[in-house]
Order: sequence, then C-alpha cells, then structure tokens
Amino acid sequence: MLKQLSVSFVIGFAACLVGANAASAQDTALQLTVQNGRFEPAELQAPANKAISITIKNNDAKSVEFESVSLRVEKVIAAKGQGTVRIRALSPGRYEFMDDFNQKNRGTLVVQ
Amino acid sequence: MALHDDRGVTARPGALVAVALWWMAASAHAEESASKGFYEIETKYIFGFTEGSGIGLEGEKEFSVDTIGRFGKRDGRYAATETKFEFEYTPNQYIQVEFGPLAAGHNIRGVTDLDDRHAITLSGFFGELRYLVFDRPASPIAVTVSFEPVYRAFDETGGERVENYEFETKLQADVELIKNRLYAAANLIYEPETTRVMSGDWEKESKFGLTGALSYRVLPELAIGVEADYYRHYDGLLFDTFTGDALFIGPTLYYKFARKMFLAAAWNAQVWGREVETSNRFNLAEFSRQRAKLKVAVEF
Repeated sequence: MLKQLSVSFVIGFAACLVGANAASAQDTALQLTVQNGRFEPAELQAPANKAISITIKNNDAKSVEFESVSLRVEKVIAAKGQGTVRIRALSPGRYEFMDDFNQKNRGTLVVQ
Repeated sequence: MALHDDRGVTARPGALVAVALWWMAASAHAEESASKGFYEIETKYIFGFTEGSGIGLEGEKEFSVDTIGRFGKRDGRYAATETKFEFEYTPNQYIQVEFGPLAAGHNIRGVTDLDDRHAITLSGFFGELRYLVFDRPASPIAVTVSFEPVYRAFDETGGERVENYEFETKLQADVELIKNRLYAAANLIYEPETTRVMSGDWEKESKFGLTGALSYRVLPELAIGVEADYYRHYDGLLFDTFTGDALFIGPTLYYKFARKMFLAAAWNAQVWGREVETSNRFNLAEFSRQRAKLKVAVEF
C-alpha cells in the first residue's frame, strides 16, 4: 500500500513538473483584449475541470502584466503584442485577475 | 419544551444566528473590501513564523534575505541569528522550490554550557520543495506540504563547528475567514536532525511543532496579526525521549512596500515552557526566551 502510494505520488509529482505548461487541443481557449487600459471582456466564462488557455491581445501602447494570485500565473505582454497563459483545470468559482502595471484594470474568470 | 430540556438544542439557534451574522458581515465586508482595493494576496508570508499555503505564481522568481534571531538563555548574554539568502522559484502552478546559503551570527557571553563567542560566518545550505495539495476555492482550506533539507557546518545554538543535517517536513494550511481581509493559518511540523559534534559522536534529536496564526489586512498593503507556536523537543529522530517543550506568542507584520517588494516581520516571546530534567519555569535549554524574524524580498 505504502509502495503504491509512493509510486503514484512520484508519478503525479513528475506529471506536475513537466505537464503544466504546454497548451493542448483539449484546452478551453479564451480571448482577452486590453483596450484603453481595460480588459475586454472584464468577465470570462469557462467550464470546470478542464485546462484553460487565455490569449491576451494588448492593443494599447503600454505593456501589461496579466497576473492572478488564485490562477497562479503572470505574464508580461508588450505594447501591441499578444501572449498566452495556460491554466490548470479549475474547480467552480470566481478567479480574479488584473494588470499588475495598472492595478485598476481588473477582471474575473468565472468557472462553472 | 425541547429547547429548554436539551442543552444542545438550546445552543443551536444561538449558534445559527451567530453564523448567519458572521456570514452577512463577511459578505458585506468582502464587497466593501473590493471597493477599497483589498484584492487577492499571497498568503505565504503574512503569518510571521507560521507559513501560509501560497506557492507564488508560475514563472515567478524571488530573492530574499530572511533572518531569524533568538535571544536570551537562563543566564549571561545570548543572541544568535541565522540568515537565509534565498532564491525562490515557482516552475508551475503546483510546486515551488527554494534554495540558498545560510549565514550564522552568535554573540554569547557567560551562558552556562555554551562557549563565549562573537562571530558571523557562512554556516551551511538549505533547499526546500513545496507542493500545493489543496487550494481554494476547491477546498475552503488550502494546504501545502514542504520538505526542507538543511546542512549546517556550525551549531545553530552555540556556534561551534559541527556537521549537522536537518530535514524539516511541514504541513501549511490557511483559510480566508473574511475574503481578502482576515486569514488564519496553522502549521504542523516534524523536524528530525542529526549532528556530529567535536568528539565525533552523532547526536540525534527531533522537534514537533504546532503553530497557529491570524492575520488581518488593515490596509491593502499592510497586514498585522498574532501567532502562537508550540514546540516539543525530543532526543532521537522519531520522538524517542521527550526533553521539554515551549509556547511562544507574539505579533506579526507584513508590508508590501513596492509592487514587487515586501517585508515580513514577527516577534515571539516564550510565555510558557518546561525542561524535563529541571523545574525551571521556561525551557531555555532547547529554546530561547525570545525570537524575531525579518524577511525582505524582491520578486522578479
């Protein structure tokens, strides 16, 4: 029993180490635009228990840093640039995100 | 009738009202909090010596200088510090790694069983692996488990040359009592260590710890709190022979003074303790009378 638990922990842990970053075709793909210092839309929806990819397109002339403590991601997106963050499968709930360079710019990912 | 006869039943309406009031207050507080700029916060460092469950953001790196000072023995003058020069990295959304060198400082004069010493030196290395087991909102209580091997070339307490290996295992749990404002945390600690002393003998010991803390954000960037930490010390790696215990209580502080910089501080005093072999009021053989922590970190 202890051996089985140890093996499953090691396999799960290794999977966590190597498998969290690559986007896959099964991901829920979401689009977010930064326009005039605001996320559009300010609220995103996604299904629970499925990995999520959010592509952020920055139309502004200033860089943004997409950041979320509860989603545990951060990414700097250059002015007029685009970037993607991949998020693990989430349980239902509301997850805040913001632009760390402009903290008044905030949004929410609603998972249900 | 039953309400008067059954103590459990009479207590229940009061408890329900209290829970309902607390929930309403917490909900109102959460809405008010958001409007005042109280958004999500990393919980790892807001509880003083007690650690929260946070593991940072994927890809985030942090460098910090983290000093713990221990002050006061039964007699003489005693001050000892250990500083971690810590690099912290979160490679994905589940784990966090930390490592770095240690420096030790000792200022000891006239303490029974310890040599007088006044020295600061590089003293060892540490590594830490943290794994997030449960997270909010899937679980109301977020839990992280951590493993921290440490090598020391100088004794933590007395500063003499030794060969010391420690392996701290810790369960760190926290909960949001009021969303984005009031947090509680608890740590469960098992810390075995083995030390080869000057004579060549290996001494084995272990420590059990149970700590609890509350932290309240008075401002979006500032959290203050209180913690109580209880430790039991044993000879042997697996709690073989109990030698004494101690209870520390004190305030905590967390201040994010720039977008990517923060400091965390705590001070504890031993308020109760016992040594098995003596009738002394505090345990000052294995613990100090007071201890303090100061961590300054920059994220990049």
